[in-house]
Amino acid sequence: MFKMIRRTLVISAITLSAQAMATLSNPAFADYPDKPIEVIVGYSAGGGTDVLARVVGKYLEQALGDDASVVVKNQPGAGGQIGFTSVAAARADGHTLGTFNLPAAMALTYDRQAAYDVDSFDYLANVVHDPNTLVVSQNSPYHSLKALIQAAKEKPGSLGMALSALGGNDHFSALLLAAAADTEFNLIPFNGASMARTALLGGHVAAGTMALSQTIGFEDELRVLAVLDDERSSFAPEVPTAKEQGYDVEMGSYRGFVAPHGLPEDIRSRLEAAFRALADNKALHDELAAQGNTLDIVVGDDYRELAESQSDIAAQLWENHPWK
Amino acid sequence: MYGNLIDALPSVLSLGNLLAVVIGVVAGICVGALPGLSATMAISVLIPFTFGMDPLVALGMMAGIYNGAMYGGSIPAVLLRIPGTPAAVATSFDGYPMAQQGRGGYALQVAVVSSALGGIVSALVLMLLAPPLAKVTLLFGPTEIFWVAVFGMSAIVFLLGGDVLKGLISAAFGVFVSLVGADTITGAERYTFGHLELLDGINIVVLLVGLYALPPAIGLLEEVRDFDTENTGRLNTTSIWKAIPGMLKYWKTWVRSSIIGVFVGILPGAGGSMAAFLSYNEARRASKNPEEWGKGEPEGVAASETSNNADTAAALIPALTLGIPGTAVAAVMLGGLLIHGLQPGPMLFRDNPEIVFGFMWQFLFAAVLLIFLGGALATNSFAQVLRLPRPLLGAIIISLVFIGVYSINGRMFDVYLMLGFGLIGYFMDKLKFPLPPVVLGLILGGFAEQNLRLALRIGGGDWGILASSPTAKILIGMILLVVLMPLFSRLRRSRKANRVAG
Repeated sequence: MFKMIRRTLVISAITLSAQAMATLSNPAFADYPDKPIEVIVGYSAGGGTDVLARVVGKYLEQALGDDASVVVKNQPGAGGQIGFTSVAAARADGHTLGTFNLPAAMALTYDRQAAYDVDSFDYLANVVHDPNTLVVSQNSPYHSLKALIQAAKEKPGSLGMALSALGGNDHFSALLLAAAADTEFNLIPFNGASMARTALLGGHVAAGTMALSQTIGFEDELRVLAVLDDERSSFAPEVPTAKEQGYDVEMGSYRGFVAPHGLPEDIRSRLEAAFRALADNKALHDELAAQGNTLDIVVGDDYRELAESQSDIAAQLWENHPWK
Repeated sequence: MYGNLIDALPSVLSLGNLLAVVIGVVAGICVGALPGLSATMAISVLIPFTFGMDPLVALGMMAGIYNGAMYGGSIPAVLLRIPGTPAAVATSFDGYPMAQQGRGGYALQVAVVSSALGGIVSALVLMLLAPPLAKVTLLFGPTEIFWVAVFGMSAIVFLLGGDVLKGLISAAFGVFVSLVGADTITGAERYTFGHLELLDGINIVVLLVGLYALPPAIGLLEEVRDFDTENTGRLNTTSIWKAIPGMLKYWKTWVRSSIIGVFVGILPGAGGSMAAFLSYNEARRASKNPEEWGKGEPEGVAASETSNNADTAAALIPALTLGIPGTAVAAVMLGGLLIHGLQPGPMLFRDNPEIVFGFMWQFLFAAVLLIFLGGALATNSFAQVLRLPRPLLGAIIISLVFIGVYSINGRMFDVYLMLGFGLIGYFMDKLKFPLPPVVLGLILGGFAEQNLRLALRIGGGDWGILASSPTAKILIGMILLVVLMPLFSRLRRSRKANRVAG
């Protein structure tokens, strides 16, 4: 009895303080957002990142409340660099955000001149994590990662490995795996993941590495040998991780949202809270799952650490295997 | 599978879904007809709005826009020698001379009927043969695609025009433009001068608009004398239904160009302009009077317009089954599908048959609608545009072109680039350098280079890989045939002439 009263008291105290906080902090950002929030996407309308930005934007509006509106602005070009650069240079007032792709956004600061670095952004939240996979065609003689690596070791540098492009998660996956297995692949950068996949299906290359979402819908045509993540994916629970097969490699694509560095504290925390609220949004989760994407919300400082570690991996790979 | 096709029909026939196709076709014709605006752009603009729409309404509009724009591009190509879309370049070869001879109305009628037929064939192929043709796509790896590009380049010979040297210089300029940007194999930057905007290469629309739309538009401004607006406003057309029986003699071209269009459509990465060039070339080769081509031969218009529409639905075969967007338009359409949770791939047909097959029906309807909407309405109303005073028309075109080029990537850089190409195009025009080899050089040069290097990379530097597959061997045989046949026939003719003389 006494316990119950105490619990009720505690709960009401929490509710009260929450209310008090809400009233207190309201005036601080009462005028934000007072105009549409622009999300800059460094890729064309209709691409994977663009669709993600539009879907998440819809839920972000609800999470922010106050009739907030989110508008997507496409600034395609140079592998996303034009978009990332313009986010970094925008006014840090919370009305300009941008989508951010890791490791690609950081990788290109090493292999070419870039007007931003890892400190140019305020990291709001990562939204999607799409681990890389190692794939062969269903007709391929390789049934395990081990068999594939064995073949590669027979004549290092001859086994064809299809990639979507250089300097991205596909390329890094191949490099990291080659290093872990102490061999080399013949890297073949196609013009996009779907071209790489088609060459694989047609038997023009022996193997390929691509994000897990790229293999969804091709279950009868492709054989996924390994997921390059620390645990199995819910999309393909029967596929073992590379780690399970003895090669400790983790690589994948992360897509999230950043703002120019130096957001006012209240706006920053309000945006972070809105993203945090998306973490258990069932509708968003389902909508992303239909596109083969796993919702993986990482907010604030944790996201910043993620970006820094991805940047370090890219820097190291660039140092050891400069690709141009 | 064909049961699914019938099951999908009722929902497509609902008023809202049908209306979406009608609106799409009309919008597509307008967008295609305005130089600088393209189907890709129209569909990108549409994408954000499709969020709240029923999938079939959204997809119906896209199907309509795609088909409509492919025909719409021929309207300015015929009337002003300004191709509205890259795929309409080959249409201007004979369409514009016809317009100068006062047969512009007939040229547009041939264009609309051919476009509709190409579109219908393409839609039927998509409906009935998508899964087997996807297997054909898989036969074409980098090696095979390289040979297709070489085959296409053999078409350059006839595009060179009277002065072979000038033609080759034009072609070389096109290939040079294709070199700009990051090398796709090594990532090295070529001719970018540190500009991020050049890293992805030069968009074909920027080049095309600069070379093709600006010089004629400036020409319109130069023309001080006011035109005889009384007569140009009417295109002297008879009703399209009366004109159709007279066109039936083009049936061979229709069949041939449809096949070429569908074939190019299912190739990964090739687009409508390549289809139009190839089919124009083949039709000319098969013709009894090839010397009349380029001077106002309606069959040339038929060849080009049939195949660029036959490319539309066919391009969706690899897009839907393999997720490879063959053209820029197909890429944007895939985004439209993705928004509605429709992941392209073999599973798409199994998981969402009502939408996929409904989409196919909409392609068919869009193609049929072209005859009614394009023939009767659009052709006559666009002809009225010609009644505008010439300087006004020129000014309108130039401002449209600015808007169109700016909106490709939303930046002024492309506009400046386009102006640069406009300057080059203006002088090329005055110095009588042919323009088509530039376009062909840009499209096929880049295509050939990238695939050759991919093939060699796969083969580990061994050139033998280029003749390793049966498909590659067949393609090499076809190229040899095409290149050597005219030589043999000329040899035989000269020998015969010698004998007569001797």
